Amino acid sequence: MKTRKLIVWFCFAALITLSGQTPAPPAAAAPPPAPVPITDADVKNVEAPKAEARAKGDPDGALTGTVSDIAVADSKKGLTIGDLVSQVGQNKIAINFVWTLVAGFLVMFMQAGFAVVETGLCRAKNANHTMMMNFMVYGTGMLAYWLIGFTLQMGGVGAVGNLGGSPVLNAEFTVTLFGKTFGLFGQNGYVLMHNGAYDVAVMVIFLFQMVFMDTALTIVTGSAAERWKFSAFLASSFVLGAFIYPIFANWAWGGGWLANLGANFGLGKGYVDFAGSGVVHAVGGLSAMAMAIIIGPRIGKFDRTGKPFAMPGHDVTLVITGCFILAFGWFGFNPGSTLGASGNGNLRIGSIAVNTMLAGMAGAFTAMFYMWIRYGKPDASMSGNGLLAGLVAITAPCGFVNPISAVIIGALAGVIVCLSVEFVERVMKLDDPVGAISVHGTNGLFGVICVGLFADGKSNYGGSWNGVPGSVTGLFYGDSGQLVAQLVGVSTLIGFVFVFSFVLYLIVDAIFKHRSKPEDELAGLDIPEMGALAYPEFELKTSGLHATPSGD
Amino acid sequence: MVLGLSIILAGFVISVLSLGFATDVWARLAIVLAGIAVSLFGIIGILNPAYLKDAIWKK
Repeated sequence: MKTRKLIVWFCFAALITLSGQTPAPPAAAAPPPAPVPITDADVKNVEAPKAEARAKGDPDGALTGTVSDIAVADSKKGLTIGDLVSQVGQNKIAINFVWTLVAGFLVMFMQAGFAVVETGLCRAKNANHTMMMNFMVYGTGMLAYWLIGFTLQMGGVGAVGNLGGSPVLNAEFTVTLFGKTFGLFGQNGYVLMHNGAYDVAVMVIFLFQMVFMDTALTIVTGSAAERWKFSAFLASSFVLGAFIYPIFANWAWGGGWLANLGANFGLGKGYVDFAGSGVVHAVGGLSAMAMAIIIGPRIGKFDRTGKPFAMPGHDVTLVITGCFILAFGWFGFNPGSTLGASGNGNLRIGSIAVNTMLAGMAGAFTAMFYMWIRYGKPDASMSGNGLLAGLVAITAPCGFVNPISAVIIGALAGVIVCLSVEFVERVMKLDDPVGAISVHGTNGLFGVICVGLFADGKSNYGGSWNGVPGSVTGLFYGDSGQLVAQLVGVSTLIGFVFVFSFVLYLIVDAIFKHRSKPEDELAGLDIPEMGALAYPEFELKTSGLHATPSGD
Repeated sequence: MVLGLSIILAGFVISVLSLGFATDVWARLAIVLAGIAVSLFGIIGILNPAYLKDAIWKK
């Protein structure tokens, strides 16, 4: 018993002593070993898998992707350090090529999402026509962009480091204003053959930018649905893909004057639009508004006093399925806009993807609750539009904000889209069957402004943005100049892009006439314009008039 | 219509001029906001009402 007490006291005393001890000063750090240069001889000593081992197959993958897979420049010399370095560079660019291409494929699939959302929100008698517009906008836009648009947008962008620094797109048309250079449009790259544009990196850039442009084009088909003559639609889509979209995209992404507001005028990092809230969605939404004003509302949308009537779509399952397809495609839209996954801070793609999904979720929630509180039911199509609004709004800031800001931006966008739909319909008396103006136009502008407010200065894409060193930082984190740059972009979208598209659409109207004949519109455009019904085995109501006042 | 389009475009011009005629960031902010307001007035207050005069639902 005495011995046990002694042991306890000894342990207790030892504990006290040890806990009170100050740590011994660290031993003087040993000098780092001198770097040993790697020589070609070292590389030659790396053992390749034996042929007999390879002949038995490689079920665990240990023998695949080894030194024997590195390309050798000179077989007489064998593997050298130069071969290794070239392989590392090739691997980086290959990762970035594959990343950007796969992201572009996802964005291309968004066309299917737009097609079913718009068709579901239209009446059954126009389903074939609406589907066909969404289908052919892909080809028409691509043709216009390949012939003209790509050059105007990217022909002066210069080297894109993530894709190999290809320098062939290096001719920007500029003017001098206030003693500074203002880039207006690119000049290299027509039909992907002009002035060295037949280049692997240029092809990747073209594919990715082309599918973005097509997204903007398909927005307009929503606002003019159910009364747009197909010939006028084709011509309008061509001018949007060839001129309207590429000009603003050059100013923002192609090395144009908006991108250089930071370098030239000290406004933050210049106009910043990570994945296109402004370039894609606001351009599409404002063009959609111009078209809605010119073409006028559908017959039966408003009564003689201007009171709007609801014209419900024919298939809410299509609408919600389309929203899911779009949300899926947005994972190409936003994270893909890094144009790479390796190097230059591109590992932020995880943060960008999470911001994207959070904002979409928040938008769907707030739109659903807004409709539920205001009208008594959680409206499905407006919940879908809320999801899209959140995604549109986060598209510009997704690369520069934290997850909390992403949720705030998405939540605000979900309410904004509901308010905007009501304003467009009840105050402006515009007929926008799918809410394209509000989802893409209003929230596109909101997203652009959000960069100037919420960017937290934590991103680092190679140490600079638009040629200005440092990280993009908004007003809430200390840079008021960034907000001004964003607002100059907003003003350009409203004041220039809207007018430009309005004038070009008026020219198209003078040649083709946008509006279909009243009797065709009342019958539904499927037979008069397309020659076939989307649902030939169903009996369709052909009246354009509905008895349900909008919002009641 | 021409008046409406001119006013909308004028808002854009005002914003661009802020780059040359102001150096203080808050002054630029105020001018750009004024430019946006002018453009919005051009769309909502001038251009759209001009088209609504002949709207299909008034006939």
